[in-house]
Amino acid sequence: MGALTEEQIERYSRHILLPEVGGAGQRALLKAKVLLIGAGGLGSPVGLYLAAAGVGKLGVVDSDNVELSNLQRQVLHSTADLGRPKCLSAKETMEALNPDVEVVPHHVRLTAQNALHIISDYDVVADGSDNFATRFLVNDACVMAAKALSHAGILRFEGQLTTILPGRGPCYRCLYPEPPPPGMVPSCQEVGILGATAGVVGLLQATEVLKLILGIGEPLAGRLLLFNALEMTFKEVRIARDPGCPVCGDRPLITSLVDYEEACALRAGDAVSREVVP
Amino acid sequence: MTTEPTNITLRLFGPLVTALGRKEIGLAWAEGTVREALLSFVEEHGASARSFLFDSHGDLWKSLIVLVNDEPVGDLQTTPVRAGDTISILLPLAGGSEASIATVGRF
Repeated sequence: MGALTEEQIERYSRHILLPEVGGAGQRALLKAKVLLIGAGGLGSPVGLYLAAAGVGKLGVVDSDNVELSNLQRQVLHSTADLGRPKCLSAKETMEALNPDVEVVPHHVRLTAQNALHIISDYDVVADGSDNFATRFLVNDACVMAAKALSHAGILRFEGQLTTILPGRGPCYRCLYPEPPPPGMVPSCQEVGILGATAGVVGLLQATEVLKLILGIGEPLAGRLLLFNALEMTFKEVRIARDPGCPVCGDRPLITSLVDYEEACALRAGDAVSREVVP
Repeated sequence: MTTEPTNITLRLFGPLVTALGRKEIGLAWAEGTVREALLSFVEEHGASARSFLFDSHGDLWKSLIVLVNDEPVGDLQTTPVRAGDTISILLPLAGGSEASIATVGRF
């Protein structure tokens, strides 16, 4: 990409004024390619702010359509988008915000068959997916493809965030070797989510992605950030790479992606009772 | 090390707070390891609490992170818990999940 146009200099002037960004940093953003996994509660704030920042290519993987219950937090979509594919609604919103941005919709569910192919076109991945099968798949694919990954999860008034730099720190499996058993972690659909919590955590993700592209600051690698909106607290936990990790360890057992939604090997009787303890 | 019972604190995060009813739980404690403290907790709080922390083989779920005084615990069986310590238990969050968690494979 050549020099910034006069219009771009004006649009991105508040970035360019930052010595840590400058014209060179803004050109790096315009050349960058970021993949959003999900255009929901997390993907919406990530996508809006990356588009506004001038990230040149934004891929959006989402196979869902916009539902009324999404609109309390999924600010990429509006009432007029009800029933439309989220990735198309997201594309229109982000490209309207900033015509410098090319949004590539992937109206598919991420699978073991397509994940590496889709991810290979991008520099950084931001995971805002809505289920653990996808989260483990995205982690494994990013480790195998050596792509930086911003991971975030939300529920009720809480959020978690970490940045995964394959080969340079722990991955999601180092942190959580296995998905939780059935019944342990309810869904937002079951127990709710304060919409603004998704916004806070999503914007932390967007900040991490911009820092990674610009090569500035300290990435949230090797650290898990815990956000509690009710307490309005942030807590940080150090995490280490596990040499025995099945995907990024010294002798990885997982060397190709598998169909995470098939062949559950959970042991009989290992479901968690949801009965509330008195 | 004292053998007089003193209190340690079990601090829960995310869905564990909802499931177990409280964010912080005090536990009378003399001395022992993290695993012993967690077993003591589930003995006091019943089968439901046990199923949230331990699988049917009696192993802590691998989807849980255990911290003592905010530091990750490597080995539950050897890491000591002392008077005044706080044990924190974290578990992963996804998003607006509609997919069944039971469909995720283990490795």
